[in-house]
Amino acid sequence: MRVQLFATCLVDTFFPETGEAVLKILDHYGVNIVYPREQTCCGKPPNSAGYRKEARQAAKHFISVFDGTDPIVIPSGSCASMVKNHYPDLFKDDPKMFRKAEALARRTFELSQFLVNVLKVHETGFPNGHGKITYHASCQLTRELGARTEPLELLKSIKGAEFVPMNNADRCCGFGGVFMGKMPEISMALADDKVDSIIETNADIVTGCDHGCLMNITDAAKRRNVDFQIKHIATVLAEAL
Amino acid sequence: MRNEELIRIFMENASKVAAKPIRVEGSNKLNDILDEILANETSVYCPAKTELEKSVIIDVERRVEALENATSSVEEVVAGIAETGSIVVSSANGRALQTSLLPTYHVALLSADNIFASLDEFFKIMGNDLPTNVTFITGPSRTADIELTLTIGVHGPEKVSILVI
Amino acid sequence: MKKPGGQSINFRDNARQALQNPTLRRAMRHATETFRNKRNDAIDGIPFEEWREQASELRKSIIGNINGYVDEFAVNATKRGAIVHRAKTAADARDLITAILKDNGAKSIVKSKSMVTEEIHLNKCLADLGFRVIETDLGEYIIQIAGETPSHIIVPAIHRSKEQIGQLFCEKLGCDFSDDPAVLTDTARKLLRQEFLSADAAISGANCYIANTGSIVLFTNEGNGRMVTTLPPLHIVVTSIEKALPSIDDLPLLMRLLPRSATGQVLTSYLSIISGQRMAYSTMDTKRLHIVLLDNGRSEIARGPYWEMLKCIKCGACMNVCPVYGMIGGHAYASTYPGPMGVILSTLLNGLENAHPLLDATTLCGACAEACPVKVPLLKLLYELREMRVAKGYNNTLEGVSMRGFGIAAKNAHIFRTGQASAGALWPLAGILSPVTVNRLPKPVKRTFRRRFS
Repeated sequence: MRVQLFATCLVDTFFPETGEAVLKILDHYGVNIVYPREQTCCGKPPNSAGYRKEARQAAKHFISVFDGTDPIVIPSGSCASMVKNHYPDLFKDDPKMFRKAEALARRTFELSQFLVNVLKVHETGFPNGHGKITYHASCQLTRELGARTEPLELLKSIKGAEFVPMNNADRCCGFGGVFMGKMPEISMALADDKVDSIIETNADIVTGCDHGCLMNITDAAKRRNVDFQIKHIATVLAEAL
Repeated sequence: MRNEELIRIFMENASKVAAKPIRVEGSNKLNDILDEILANETSVYCPAKTELEKSVIIDVERRVEALENATSSVEEVVAGIAETGSIVVSSANGRALQTSLLPTYHVALLSADNIFASLDEFFKIMGNDLPTNVTFITGPSRTADIELTLTIGVHGPEKVSILVI
Repeated sequence: MKKPGGQSINFRDNARQALQNPTLRRAMRHATETFRNKRNDAIDGIPFEEWREQASELRKSIIGNINGYVDEFAVNATKRGAIVHRAKTAADARDLITAILKDNGAKSIVKSKSMVTEEIHLNKCLADLGFRVIETDLGEYIIQIAGETPSHIIVPAIHRSKEQIGQLFCEKLGCDFSDDPAVLTDTARKLLRQEFLSADAAISGANCYIANTGSIVLFTNEGNGRMVTTLPPLHIVVTSIEKALPSIDDLPLLMRLLPRSATGQVLTSYLSIISGQRMAYSTMDTKRLHIVLLDNGRSEIARGPYWEMLKCIKCGACMNVCPVYGMIGGHAYASTYPGPMGVILSTLLNGLENAHPLLDATTLCGACAEACPVKVPLLKLLYELREMRVAKGYNNTLEGVSMRGFGIAAKNAHIFRTGQASAGALWPLAGILSPVTVNRLPKPVKRTFRRRFS
């Protein structure tokens, strides 16, 4: 099987190790990975802030770069939801682009959904885990994409590791993309609450499918004396291979 | 649904909302039970309009004619709703709605035949020509306006008993 | 950006202040958590999704023909002896209510909770004209004596601790201090009982009105709503036009959804269906019932692109699940309606000029839309109103410039890379990020992921 990888801006600029982890996992399961080099941004920030024209410019570029029929894998719930849910809406008045956006949406997968629903890797599981792992359910992943079970299936399939659920796991961490920039005080307060929920679990690792949230949580954790690690789910899974 | 099953569900749901349902087997037992549950009440109001209300015996010293002065009231209610454990009072036939509102203890007499399984069933029977005021009562008066702490008995009764006859 | 002549809400400063108030934060955390848990318990084991879908379809069809239902209701309520008034604006509603009170020689008024009267700032108007107005819902009573506005549409004093309320009662009512909710409730009960019995008039809201029977419906818990609607000789109902139900047969669905979503109850302690003029229990005098139906821009909203907001049944579930509301409480929104529904409704009712900063009061997490019992697409509306904010020029200028640059760069990987290298991954936003936020971000890596493919 061949897939196209959209790495996301955050992975590209801040967290290349997550990109490496995605490559390692997909490679392990015999997937050929194509990285379209002209990729930029999915257009999520302007779309959330109300800049439809700019979001459309990004979407058009994305659609032209990610052509063909291969599945597109994205290690982020919010970017994947942008492509799957918001692209068709952006072109609702342009029948030709709308059809393209819909076709693209159908072959786009958030990483955990791809691993579970297409590759079914949770059935064999990951052999080399360790420690207690808890999970933050990011908003767009959970509510826009409806990926409530896939990340949990994956984490529970790691042998040697213990999955511990977190209270209010699907409550927003306060990242919210542009929200973090515009309302830093509320954003920080929400991240503090999230850190409290993580501490309650006594977990060694907190993971999630979105680097935006993990970045916000990392900042809150920095201001506190905490002894858990914060890792993207791709990294957690790659380490357990 | 069988009548007994309906009564059981009604009583179960009424208990859940902190009303006190009591099954009265045979109307001759009614006054015994009323004596018992009203033992500590200093004044009782009973409109004595329906047959059931007319069969209620309250000693003269305690019986009051003005609702405002009563600490407790006994009245027949028009229906019970099993789905919610509610009783229904209505202004039809010039009945005073405040009987279930002003006293701190409200004793409702409910004929088992008037228990409806669901809200829809009740409204179907009611039709569109509603009396001026139809009120569903689901447990005692309550508030949680202070720190969401449940406090029973605000402006309405703090105790509601339902005698299912 | 503030437009000339416009006065907008300073949401960020309000929020900042709220966050610095530990009592408020404790109260909000406790209240919203309790509400969330109660609601979750209440919708467990029932066909909630099915009811939501039915209610959504029903509300949709109502908003599509809202003035038809207003007309039908007016005819049927009038047949029952009620006097129905239609108020186009808040000022019209205030004038109408004032005139009714004056015509009836009413001086003292008891009120039961009504958000529509908050929307039209009725209490201040009546007080200025010399009327004596007493709120009788415990939460409303608390904020009335505190001189505040509601911070939640269901529990108006949710922002106050029991100690603060005890202190307030002590100061304003002259009673002994207590922080026991039962004692405080009893104090209010005793004071208010006399008010109910002696008031000249009552003003209440309505949770809905029924077109085919001419009835208005009130969901209450304390019994004050029943007191005010059955004791004083004059009753004025103030409600808004979107609260229609076509038929009495539609009421059970609302009865099942509203209390569960609002307070986690199967049904409120009292639900009163009032149809027309009534008889008093003691004197058998005919009593007068006036019903004021407020439009205040709703007909126009119903015709426009954001009409779905009017499906809202004002249960408050969206605010109880909103992370932002739960953190800062309702006053920071500086609007009658707070939380997610409040952000949208305030923008639609008050205009972007006043309310555009509220559109930043959301992380777009979508918890509101998921909780809404009538499926108002709150998340979609938030996105759309942000688009309108940009289209109408109420966005931040610097943000606009950054986004335009971003739009151009997104079409070209080379320009995009250059931009990213110089400003970090959030570069389209770099212009508007405060140093606070920039310091919270990690530092960009030297070797980006994309470089491994070059």
